Amino acid sequence: MMTNAATLQDCLAATGLSGPVELRLLPEPARMALRADPAHGNALSGALRLELPTKIGDRANNDGLEVLCLGPDEWVVHTDGEGMAAVQAAFAEIYGEVPHSLVDISDRDIAIELRGAAAETLLSTGCPIDLSRIRPGHGKRTLFDSVQVVLLRDGEDLFRMEVWRSFLPHVWGLLNTANRELEVGL
Amino acid sequence: MSGFRLPGRGRVNHDRPVGFSFDGDSYQGLEGDTVASALLANGVHLMGRSFKYHRPRGVVTAGPEEPNALLGTSRGEGRSEPNTRATMQEIYSGLTTTSQNRFPSLNFDLGAVNDHLGMLFSAGFYYKTFMWPKSFWDRVYEPVIRRAAGLGVSPSEPDPDTYASRFVHCDVLVVGAGPAGLAAALSAGRAGARTLLIDEGAESGGSLLSEPQAVIDGKPAWDWLSSALDELDGMVNVTVLSRTTAIGYYHQNMVGLVQRLTDHLAEPPADAPRERMLRVRADQVVLAQGAIEKPLVFDGNDRPGVMLAGAALTYLNRYGVRVGDRPVVLTSHDSAWYTAFDLSDAGVPVAGIVDTRTDVDLDLLENARSRGIVIYTGHTASSTAGRLRVTSLRVNPILNGKAGPGVTIECDAVLMCGGWTPSLHLFSHTKGSLRWDEETRTYLPGERTEEVHIAGAGRGLWGTGAALADGADAGAKAADAAGHSADVSQFDVTGDRGGTGASNVELPTDRNPATAKAFIDFQNDVTAKDIRLAVREGMHSIEHVKRYTTNGMATDQGKLSNINGLMIASDALGRNAPEVGLTTFRPPYSPTTFGAFCGYHRGERFEVIRTTPIDPWAEENGAVFEPVALWRRARYFPQPGEDMHTAVNRECAATRKSLGIFDASTLGKIEVAGPDAVEFMNRMYTNPWTKLGVGRCRYGLLLGEDGFIRDDGVIGRLSPDLFHVTTTTGGAPRVLAMMEDYLQTEWPDLKVWLTSTTEQWATIALNGPNARKLLEPLVEGQDLSDDAFPHMSVAECTVAGFPARLFRISFTGELGFEVNVPARHGLDLWKTLMAEGAQYDICPYGTETMHVLRAEKGYIIVGQDTDGTVTPQDAGLSWAIGKAKPDFVGKRSLARPDLVASGRKQLVGLMTVDPKTVLEEGAQIVADPNQPIPMKMIGHVTSSYWSEALGRSIAMAVVEDGFERKGDTLHIPMPDKTHAAVVSGTVFYDPEGDRLKL
Repeated sequence: MMTNAATLQDCLAATGLSGPVELRLLPEPARMALRADPAHGNALSGALRLELPTKIGDRANNDGLEVLCLGPDEWVVHTDGEGMAAVQAAFAEIYGEVPHSLVDISDRDIAIELRGAAAETLLSTGCPIDLSRIRPGHGKRTLFDSVQVVLLRDGEDLFRMEVWRSFLPHVWGLLNTANRELEVGL
Repeated sequence: MSGFRLPGRGRVNHDRPVGFSFDGDSYQGLEGDTVASALLANGVHLMGRSFKYHRPRGVVTAGPEEPNALLGTSRGEGRSEPNTRATMQEIYSGLTTTSQNRFPSLNFDLGAVNDHLGMLFSAGFYYKTFMWPKSFWDRVYEPVIRRAAGLGVSPSEPDPDTYASRFVHCDVLVVGAGPAGLAAALSAGRAGARTLLIDEGAESGGSLLSEPQAVIDGKPAWDWLSSALDELDGMVNVTVLSRTTAIGYYHQNMVGLVQRLTDHLAEPPADAPRERMLRVRADQVVLAQGAIEKPLVFDGNDRPGVMLAGAALTYLNRYGVRVGDRPVVLTSHDSAWYTAFDLSDAGVPVAGIVDTRTDVDLDLLENARSRGIVIYTGHTASSTAGRLRVTSLRVNPILNGKAGPGVTIECDAVLMCGGWTPSLHLFSHTKGSLRWDEETRTYLPGERTEEVHIAGAGRGLWGTGAALADGADAGAKAADAAGHSADVSQFDVTGDRGGTGASNVELPTDRNPATAKAFIDFQNDVTAKDIRLAVREGMHSIEHVKRYTTNGMATDQGKLSNINGLMIASDALGRNAPEVGLTTFRPPYSPTTFGAFCGYHRGERFEVIRTTPIDPWAEENGAVFEPVALWRRARYFPQPGEDMHTAVNRECAATRKSLGIFDASTLGKIEVAGPDAVEFMNRMYTNPWTKLGVGRCRYGLLLGEDGFIRDDGVIGRLSPDLFHVTTTTGGAPRVLAMMEDYLQTEWPDLKVWLTSTTEQWATIALNGPNARKLLEPLVEGQDLSDDAFPHMSVAECTVAGFPARLFRISFTGELGFEVNVPARHGLDLWKTLMAEGAQYDICPYGTETMHVLRAEKGYIIVGQDTDGTVTPQDAGLSWAIGKAKPDFVGKRSLARPDLVASGRKQLVGLMTVDPKTVLEEGAQIVADPNQPIPMKMIGHVTSSYWSEALGRSIAMAVVEDGFERKGDTLHIPMPDKTHAAVVSGTVFYDPEGDRLKL
């Protein structure tokens, strides 16, 4: 028998964790993986009702819809439940001319919010990339301690990290360990 | 206060005494002391015994290169460390230290008998001495050698400390905070570059800490140092870290640093990590590591009290400690003369300066004379005397290269200097080439392979002024290369000390060199004559000499010994040093704790453990788990009193009789979408997909280019352009990567895209004759009757109110369904099904039951019944190959001569002759059990279980030409007996498949 792993439920129930960075799990939003030929940028932008970002790491927002460019032909779209239905309908409309893949991944990932002046330092315990190069309003798909994550920087001191559900206990545990370490201050 | 401390002198805090212990005795040092400086202040030189000969040894250096003063330190329960360098460990109140490699005590050590048996322990002794009698090896030689091997005592308890790690990015990483490094950091920092300056010492300053006499920009060196550090501290773009060692220089300017956080603290904050590993990715690196002083090689050069002159200077000026009452200086380099001058000026009577050179700078001679120091130029040293401390040095004039009659100089310390070796360790890690400099007789950095700059003494420069200028230049170049525009900071230096020297092999002696104990490698007890012996015995490369003598193979990696060893080997061979070579430095630069490498990865965080949405229910209900790839999966659900066997039998029977429920969420899932999805599927998988209707499923088989089975799974078509692909649990990431690879590199023209949905869905499998009865009332939007939803169907509908993708498939041979719902609903659905299924005695089962049930039906598990060399034909899966398809991954390989030849191992069933015998998985199979050993093995058992449904054991195996052996009896030899088994087909239960058709 293996040792008891912290479960997702443990994470959700976790309280009393201290550290300079405020960590919390965000309510589950609607999330879609969009893959399409970037040559159809205009049509895709039209369906999304925003200017589709084509540089990896760039983001665009409009009316509760947020798109992050993850790869040359890959985006992640965040919205709420109603927004998702609208996006799905708009994309179904253009499928004939603009073939693409739009997959609901709302349940695949769970988002962690990190808030505080030490958030970047906290992330540096597991992220090998230069986090200072992700400016507010941008994002990156990267690793946190060997786990693939999508990192969105919403402000100088505010990040969202999206993790596949089953990896959350590991990532959450590490973040809390490191947050405690920041509290100690050495 | 101790007798060897000079009041008010040095950088230690004379107002803050600190108590610590060494070998059980209490000592007092000062805040700022290392263990070595504090013991020296108490007149203690003897700090250890050597590794091989157990010779008494004193501290030789004042830095990380220390080979002798290696102590055991303890910071409380579980917190003990062997081989701590006394020259690096800072003292704090309550620190406990002990000497090593001695019994019963440091002053009287029985192991020292080895010293008198030196002739037995010559170089390569273990290759020669213990050859015979052969029977002695296991019982005598090896146990004795093992007991003697290793220095220090490893801790026996788990390490209670925690260790941290971080990734760091910077424009310029400067390694070493001596004058060159400080100047580099100032240049780079002033230009606005993100700069990280690190030093392994407790304090920044490097050689400035030992040589305060220089005046820089009009300020005494230590004032300049503190203003420089203040300036760096004030720059937001500069970070200065002390107690931080660069342990390795890896590809593309990745440098590993270990920062020691608490080892110097009497009361570390609770939960503070002991060390932190920093993985630095630097645009540019400046190596300003300085140089390491070389010992001179002469008989008795290892006696306690014999130490490096530069170390004595450090103890005097930095720590305010005089290393003796009557030191003598023995040198071939100018630098040691200044040690004599500073000691003399501090009131320590210097017994003489012995220089192997005849031609010494006139200023030095004049300075020595004016202080009344006796000068012996053109002299060699032929021996020392004293047991636990040196009492005299015997020197001889060198006449025509030979030693003349000896003179004895009474002394209590010998301060030697054989020149300086640039510290090239990190540069060597980059595989940068080294260049032999004939003038200074040392290696210097040559061609660079990384974005690295070497500054100061590390590239053979001498003096504070030169180091500052060179460092400033390197820092500016680095900042420029990193995209900044830097000015080269200028420094005006007076009071600098020049330094030139000569290089020696072992010093000439008038005594028998064959009996001289002239040490090169203090830690491994290698002498000059060992090197010459190795050369005589045929070792002509320094790599061979090193391994034969163990020179440079101790934990100090030969920081003091490498060049001396090389010079003597090259002299013995009559070849130039570059022709003899240089051994390779490898990371880590200095011994590093395992904890620093582990970082956070211990206990619960040792490795990722993935769990499914249903895992909490399994845990609550007493599941026994097993790891499957990174997942933990419920293996079986024992009821009170059940072992695995009973639990699995019960789960199997319940599923076949009525209804079983299984968490299949770990199955890999990939959404394949786009107009070319079907073409893509045709190319990837062996099966034909074109004619698969929407709402239908098919078993898919994936091969590698080599034609061997890689993965399998059931694939459903949800629309003409959309496939829901499932993969094995362990194969999910590599299947997606393989597909993406083909798509990007081979078929970029295909309009199809892949998305991993493994974790989007929680998957629950329901199997058993009552599966439909349970589901039917819960499903909306799909008729579940056999006509409307036959075996191998898929539909989108709702189950228990949750949106679902419902498959009718079976991995058990029973009527089966797999319900996929968004992961957040997985646990709720499971609970609903458990509650509603109570009327059918629903039975949760785990992976073990799943394995048995599938084996009864002959369904393979990729990776268990296949091993990466099994083709579809070998596995009896030829039916899964779309023979009319023009191509698919692996198709051409399937026609390879070796894949169609006879004699291949083929998957068959095995029925043991004794039905109660369950074979061991992995057991080897032979045709004739009476053949002589070694027998010809013709295959092995891949799966083997007790089948409760059949009331007997079943097994699958891969056997040479297995298909042709149906009905043959084969044999499985095991330690207790040889089992007989009859070759059968692989479908053991319900071969007609009637139970699927309910």
